Amino acid sequence: MSDPTTSAENAAQAETAAPTEIAAKAAPPDSTRTGPGRVLVAVYALFALSATARAAVQIATKFSHAPVAYLLSALAAVVYIVATVTLANGSRTARRIAFLSCSVELVGVLAIGTWSIADPATFPDATVWSGYGSGYGYVPLVLPVFGLLWLRYWAARSRRGD
Amino acid sequence: MSSVNGAVPTTIIVAGLLLAGYALLMTALNRRMGFGLLVALGVLEILLLVLVGMVVAKLIGGGRPASLPTLIGYLIAIPIVPVVAGFWGALERSRWGPAVIGIAGLVAAVLMVRLHEIWPVIHV
Repeated sequence: MSDPTTSAENAAQAETAAPTEIAAKAAPPDSTRTGPGRVLVAVYALFALSATARAAVQIATKFSHAPVAYLLSALAAVVYIVATVTLANGSRTARRIAFLSCSVELVGVLAIGTWSIADPATFPDATVWSGYGSGYGYVPLVLPVFGLLWLRYWAARSRRGD
Repeated sequence: MSSVNGAVPTTIIVAGLLLAGYALLMTALNRRMGFGLLVALGVLEILLLVLVGMVVAKLIGGGRPASLPTLIGYLIAIPIVPVVAGFWGALERSRWGPAVIGIAGLVAAVLMVRLHEIWPVIHV
């Protein structure tokens, strides 16, 4: 028969003796940019940077070659910048704007993806969203879904009042 | 035209993927950022700086890619990736810190493939 007091003590000791690099029973993230949000903001920042640079080069050097594609590249770049900044900020207003930009992004990647396959002549050069983001490992298709799920988690927390 | 030695980009791809695997394993095991990951990230950074030096030498030697602005953009962005990921990941005191480092490893590998597409003399 084990003494309940001793086994409780043992459990407490085992907990304190755990290696420090093992994260303690995770406290919930304190903002949209921490926890899983850290990864989300990093990937959004990466796409903001690459879409902006790509659109800038395309528009500056060969705009007449594929004007529709390049303007859509620029639109995608703006959407990624807004999503990065608002997810990193995380205030109530920022989360609303982030929700809007993630939604535009999801609609955009689905619409442009379909359009680029149905009418390839309009897209002689690729945008981030062509072929549902196939040139970027379909990350542009998956990213807004994770963004929206993350924002939904925060909306639920906000409704619970914490 | 002589080409850039493929050993360095290939090493970067392997190193980036190994780093990604190690970092994502740490995430799966619920580990925080540790010293080992930062050292591995530092090694990746050194490899990337060597590569940027090699490509710049190629440009000084008179070689030109189809789109010079794109290549210059890549040469600026490539060394920044591990540095930013290191700071951003180190700020996070949970399993998601290593995940950020893992993404930097994947990005480094993808950038090597892209670099080859931009300027085929950079072999992979």
